[in-house]
Amino acid sequence: MYFNVKDVQQFEAQKDFIDTAIVPLLSLDFQEQSIKQSSSAAEYLMSLTAFIEQQFKGRLMLVPPFSYTEQTKSGLFVPLLKEELHNAGFKHVIFVTCDHSWTSLQDQIDVIWLPAIPLESMDKEVKKKVLEDQLKQVIPILSSKWSQS
Amino acid sequence: MSNNRVSRRQFLNYTLTGVGGFMAAGMLMPMIRFAIDPALQTKAEGDFVQTSQKIDEITEEPIKVDFTFEQVDAWYKSDVTEAAWVYRDGDAIIALSPVCKHLGCTVNWAGDSAHPDQYFCACHGGRYEKTGKNVPGTPPTGPLDEYEVAEKDGFLMLGKKIPNTLG
Ligand code: FES
Repeated sequence: MYFNVKDVQQFEAQKDFIDTAIVPLLSLDFQEQSIKQSSSAAEYLMSLTAFIEQQFKGRLMLVPPFSYTEQTKSGLFVPLLKEELHNAGFKHVIFVTCDHSWTSLQDQIDVIWLPAIPLESMDKEVKKKVLEDQLKQVIPILSSKWSQS
Repeated sequence: MSNNRVSRRQFLNYTLTGVGGFMAAGMLMPMIRFAIDPALQTKAEGDFVQTSQKIDEITEEPIKVDFTFEQVDAWYKSDVTEAAWVYRDGDAIIALSPVCKHLGCTVNWAGDSAHPDQYFCACHGGRYEKTGKNVPGTPPTGPLDEYEVAEKDGFLMLGKKIPNTLG
């Protein structure tokens, strides 16, 4: 499900089934030497989370990414965010990011860290393969979460 | 002047509001229609999309065939990749949509080792037989949709999604 009116209505009607929130944590860097690399990572994270959404549409909701820069990052209280989503009815809240620093919060939140892969240079077929491979890393984490409940 | 006579100012007000509203509607209607129209057009009817799957390599074991088409969503064009589960049944080629009829996850053939000859939906354990018929007692309430199929130069083409015809 996406965070749009149609899907949110479905979420409200089917909370028993749609019990997982996927939250991308997206680091942006506008400095001249890193802006390109940052956009590449953003593209990757958005493609990957959209692909996860396509595969598991009926069980999870992909919320819009929480974006920050190095300077504004400290204003993002991720464990609080998790609380709020819990209270909204998401039993599982999973953060997905290419920013390694979030793994330091691993004892408070569920975070999947994946190093960014530059997709822009790949043709469609290769890109699909790469995303499928990456998805394979995510599936076990999801199923172990889901089998807990 | 009696009270219920319409004053000149009121008269002008009413008529102008009326005419203005009418004009606004006249301007807005085509604009609205123009704005929502492209969103209503998805894949053109009867359009077949070429896949890279050779027809004579399709066996009785379902395989996943990816295909990409351009979707126009309002003014935004994007490439959408979808997949179909494709197998051979005698002379016929069957292509099923992988979209679970429960809440829309993607199903996998033999996705559950306990049921190697069924499609499995990992989201809530939905299962379907090879023909797409949903297994009673699992969450889905209907069979998987089918794609229209065609052949071109030995390659599989996929068309519109249609309700399952295999019963
Ligand atoms: S979405 Fe397939 S079983 Fe619920």
